[in-house]
Formats: sequence, structure tokens, C-alpha cells
Amino acid sequence: MNPQRRNFLGYIVSLIATVPFLSFLKPKVTAGEISPIQVTSPPGDKARVVMLRREGMLNGDAPDVRLIRKVINEGVCHVTGNSLPSGAWRELFTPKDTVGIKVNCLGGKGVSTHPELVMAVVEGLRVAGVPDSNIIIWDRLTSELESLGFKINRQGEGVRCFGTDSNYEPGVEEIGSIGSCFSTILSRQCTALINMPVLKDHDLSGVSLSLKNLYGAIHNPNKYHDNNCDPYIADLNSHPLIWGKLRLIICDGITGMYNGGPGFKPQGSWPFQGIILSRDPVALDRVGCEIIEAKRKEKGLPGLKEVGRDPKHIMSAFKKGLGIGDMKKVEVVKG
Amino acid sequence: MKNFCNRREFLREISSGVCALSLSSDFTTIENLLNAGPAYGAGPPLKEVMFYKKLEDVRIECEICPRACKIADRERGYCGNKENRRGTYYTLVYAQACAVHNDPIEKKPLFHYLPGTNALSIAAAGCNFECKFCQNWQIAQFRPEQVDSYPLTPDQIVKMTKDQGSPTIAYTYSEPVVFYEYMYDTARLGRYQGIGSVMISNGYIKEEPLSELCKYVTAVKIDLKAFTEKFYRETCSGELKPVLDTLERLRKIGIWFEIVVLIVPTLNDSEKEIREMSRWIREKLGGNVPVHFTRFHPMYKIKNLPPTPVSTLERARKIAQEAGIHYVYIGNVPGHEGEHTYCPSCKKIIIKRTGFFILENHVKGGKCSFCNYPIPGVWEKPPALQPKKI
Repeated sequence: MNPQRRNFLGYIVSLIATVPFLSFLKPKVTAGEISPIQVTSPPGDKARVVMLRREGMLNGDAPDVRLIRKVINEGVCHVTGNSLPSGAWRELFTPKDTVGIKVNCLGGKGVSTHPELVMAVVEGLRVAGVPDSNIIIWDRLTSELESLGFKINRQGEGVRCFGTDSNYEPGVEEIGSIGSCFSTILSRQCTALINMPVLKDHDLSGVSLSLKNLYGAIHNPNKYHDNNCDPYIADLNSHPLIWGKLRLIICDGITGMYNGGPGFKPQGSWPFQGIILSRDPVALDRVGCEIIEAKRKEKGLPGLKEVGRDPKHIMSAFKKGLGIGDMKKVEVVKG
Repeated sequence: MKNFCNRREFLREISSGVCALSLSSDFTTIENLLNAGPAYGAGPPLKEVMFYKKLEDVRIECEICPRACKIADRERGYCGNKENRRGTYYTLVYAQACAVHNDPIEKKPLFHYLPGTNALSIAAAGCNFECKFCQNWQIAQFRPEQVDSYPLTPDQIVKMTKDQGSPTIAYTYSEPVVFYEYMYDTARLGRYQGIGSVMISNGYIKEEPLSELCKYVTAVKIDLKAFTEKFYRETCSGELKPVLDTLERLRKIGIWFEIVVLIVPTLNDSEKEIREMSRWIREKLGGNVPVHFTRFHPMYKIKNLPPTPVSTLERARKIAQEAGIHYVYIGNVPGHEGEHTYCPSCKKIIIKRTGFFILENHVKGGKCSFCNYPIPGVWEKPPALQPKKI
């Protein structure tokens, strides 16, 4: 084949390959997503937690994909202080990153990270120039991801999605009270981590938010359930594999659970219709915990501490310097 | 992961299912991201746990081991191999063996149980302790889905045992208390076909499941990790008292059992502790219970301590003998004189061993062949149980 013809065909092929990406950018993006958003700079000595709630985020059982995408972009702008979503995503991630999106599937359908929310995050990463093949949606088990509706893609082109399953580091990492083997997805593949927990109550740790979600990164979380999972959760989160890679937390609060977690209980859940974002896991968990406690109070339930499920791991994480635990120093941006 | 047997050979022995994953590479749209999957992940058939009670709000309380985990829906207990699913508690390791090997019974170690015979040894993932020196942590400290397991039913285990000419099945390597249902069904099936069963355990089990199990197992080996609650709490994430209770129950039930004490330098090797332990054994269990003091090697989370000096083991043996325990052994030191069985009466070597091998056996009909002194143990293959006539 003549070289010029080959170059031309190569150009056509690459153009075709790019079309889905371009078509995603143009017709699907609404004005709200590309317009500058009114934001302020994140406070220097405070943590910022962004809580955005929208009626209609969940329409019956079906999440509103377009609305979710818009809210995610708005949230990332507030987190970074960048008025443009594209700028905000680029501030957080670079094309060289391999980004692991740690979801939470344990609760099953109803109280797990919504795939629609994850897809909106994937689109944001694409805007930052992160190639699809450098994006890994993951959790403990492939079967759990499948049960939630994610399609599994271990090695094919496109965004990858699979569980750790049996792929843990062969050696034990010890830090504080923790001695565990880490998921090789986190240790070997990801350079950056997006933590996507859900807003829910937990039978042992009181709440399961961003800090608790990382139990899914080690092989033996069942060994760390005593004493409301404290100080285990805090110790785990202080490990460099987590602490050094965590870039963003997006808590799925489309449905919240104030009682009966971690498995889904319709009677203990409510349509919070919101998303909580932060770069500070302690501050986000403090805010999430307050939301759950407030809902419990509204429903006439005793506080978590009263029922022996004090989520003390959050303040333990604060004491370890993993974030801001003093609510006076947490700026909550609501919208 | 440790290879306890050749996978190909093993698979040839049994019929196994093959599970295939369908892969998709198209993630460009939300429709392609979604997939209508099952409510729970695919996996082996489930078996309901035998001992647990249901609590409010679809929670359960496990009643197999003293830990008594209270478990919410979709959560697992400390052992990691049982799961609450909508208020029903299931074992995830029933008929799922992660290790299978035909071992000398001396490897368990059981020195007074059919010496020179083999035991088909099986394990399933999980443990209700977390010993920092765990020798098999790659299976004991992992959850079932994290280790390679093979479908192997109780029927198949009994058949394999008979085919290999072994008189015994051993539940070992990890902690059989946490794969109780698998062990129980296999032991029961085996007993009716003339195959004995031995449980190699930490002894952290509640009274009712232990009593039920002892109807079908023919011997037990208990790891007595130390003689202080501090050691149990800090080094094993367990408790001493329930293990001592188990030992006393075994004595009361009348089943044959032996004790192993792994001596870890500086942690459980003090003269005082060994002396108190030996006195307790002598007083509560009697002098005929074999006690094996075995050598520690750095492993898992304790890599900063040296292997146990042989002199420490010899000192422990002497203390136990002085306390009135007749059969005290030294383990993990091949060729040591403490591996042999000596007749308490004539003092002669009646079973000479090196490593896991029997060099000489002078026990005949349960007696020393030199002086006719009765030697406690199981020296004849236990008879098959007969089905009850209705």
C-alpha cells in the first residue's frame, strides 16, 4: 500500500475512533455544564465539603443521567475553586494518571454507588485527558460489581471494570493496628484514587462513608470489626497507598440510609437526592455523619452512640492528621 | 499461594464445574456500562450454617465459636467465610477445598493415633483467630473468594480417602471450626464407611457444636497457643479461657486428643508460664495427654523473632515431665530424641520417629511390648458406625 494512502486511512481510522468521544462532548453537553460556575477559592486552612442536592436526581428507580453529570461537574468546580468543569477536572487529574474509582457495591442494588454517577465521573476524567484504558472502576469482587449492573472489562479497550478478587499483594503491609495485603489494583495499577462511597448507616462502624469504604482495598476487613472498627479504619486510611493516591471523594447520596446498613433496607433509607464531594475524607465523613444522625433524629431513632455504634473512627482519623474533624473549620458549600 | 497438591492430578480425581466470565470492552455509553446481573454474585452452592440464631432486623448471631459474631445482612463474621443473606447465615466454603494432601498422621501431629498411617488432609479458607505467627496464613487469613478452591464434596473426600488406602481424614491447615458444616458432614459420612476423622484445631469452639461433632470425629489436636490471656489477646486475637474449656470438655467426652504448644521466643516461653500450663494440664486433663512443644519459625507478622532455640524446647519438655505429664514431645526439630515415645514404666523407646516417619513401633495391642504397660491412644482403626435401625 502506498504510504500516503496508508497515512490517510490511518487518519480516517483514528477519526472514527474519536467520534464517540467527540459526539459525547458536543451534543450531550448542556449549556450548564460548559458555562462558568460561580465559585470561590477553597479556604486555605479549612476543609471544603460540597453538598449538592437536586430534586429529580432519582426518578423512580432511574437516575437522571444528564442531571447527575451536571451536578458532578458543578461539584468538582466547587471543590477546586475552578469555575469551569474542564479546568476543575484538569486540576485534579492529568492524562498520565491511571485513576482507580473505588465504588461500594456491598449493599446491593438500592444502596450502592450508582453506575450512572460513575459514568459521569468517567466523562470528567476524559475531559481531563485521562485515556479510557487508564480508568479502572473497582471494588472487592467482580461478582459484586456485576450484581450491581456494571459490565466487566478486565483487559479490553475502553474503561476497565473488575474486582480485586484474589489479586492481593503477596506481602503483608503493617501500619498501626492493621496488617493486610492490599489490592494490586490500588498498589500496582492506580496512580490516583477517586473514592466513591455511599451515604449509609453501618451495623458496626456506625456509618460507612469515605473512610470505611477503603476496607474494600484489603484482604481481611473481617478481622477489623471490633470496637466499631476503631482504630482500624483510621490506621488503614493513613497508609501511603491510600493517603498518597487519594485525589477526590464523591459520595453517592442519591439514596441515603439512616438505619439497617450496610445491606439495603428500603425501610431505613430515604431519597436524599444529593452528592457530597470533598478532597478531605474526615471532613466529608463528619458532614455525612451529621446528615445520617439528623435523619435518625427526625425518624425518632436514637443517636448512633446511644445504640453502641459511635462512628469514632472519624475522629481517630482526624487525630492521625488525615483531615479536618473540627466542624468549625469545615466549610460546607450547599447547593 | 501454597500448592498442597498438583492441580491437574486433583482435578482428574474429581468432577469440577467450569465457570467462565464474559468480558465486554465497550464502555462508551451508560447503556454499555450497565449489565443486568444477579442479585448476589455467582458462586458455589450455599449451605446454611448449623449453629446460629436469628436476631431482629435480619441480623444473626453465630453460635459456632465463642466470638459470637453478630452480623448484619450482607456482612460476614470474623472468620470471613460465612455470610448473612437476608437473615439466613450461610457458609461459603461448603464442599470447597482450598488444600488437599495425603499427609502422615505424624505431621498433624498426632503421635498416639494410628502411627505410621496417612490422613487425607483438607482445608477450606478462613480462621476465627488471627495468630501473628500463622504458618498457613495464605489460606487461613484470606476469604474464600481470594484463594483457589476446588469443588470437593464429602462423598468425594471419603471416596478419595478409601481409594488411597488411608484410614483417616484430617481437617487441618486452616481452622476447621470455621468450616464446621463441611467437616461435620464429611466426618459423619466417613464414620459410617469405616473412615475416621481428626480435627486439627485451635479449640475455639462452643460447647454444643463440639459435642455434636465429637459423635463422628475420632481424635482431636488442640493448639494451646500459650497460657496467658495477654498472649491470646495480643498475638492471636482470641481468648484462652474458652480453649481451656474445650480441653476439659474433650476430656469429659472421652475422645482422644493431643496438645501442641508452639513456643515463640520471648512471648510465651517463660519458665513460669510453662510450669503453670503443665500443672493445669496434669490437674485438669491428666498425665496421659500428649503435649508437643514445637519450634516457631518467623512467619506472617512475626518476622523479627528468631526460631525457637532447641534448648528452650528441651527446658519446656523437662518442666512438663516434672509436672507429671508422661508423653512430652519436641516438634519441628527432626532427629531430636524428644520425637520418640518412651514407655513411662520401663523407659524404653516404644515408638522411634524421625520427622514424620516411624522407624520402630513397639506398641502392641495398646501396650508396651517390652513391659506390657498400657499406652494411651488410638492404636486400632476405629470401627465403622452402624446405621441405627428404626
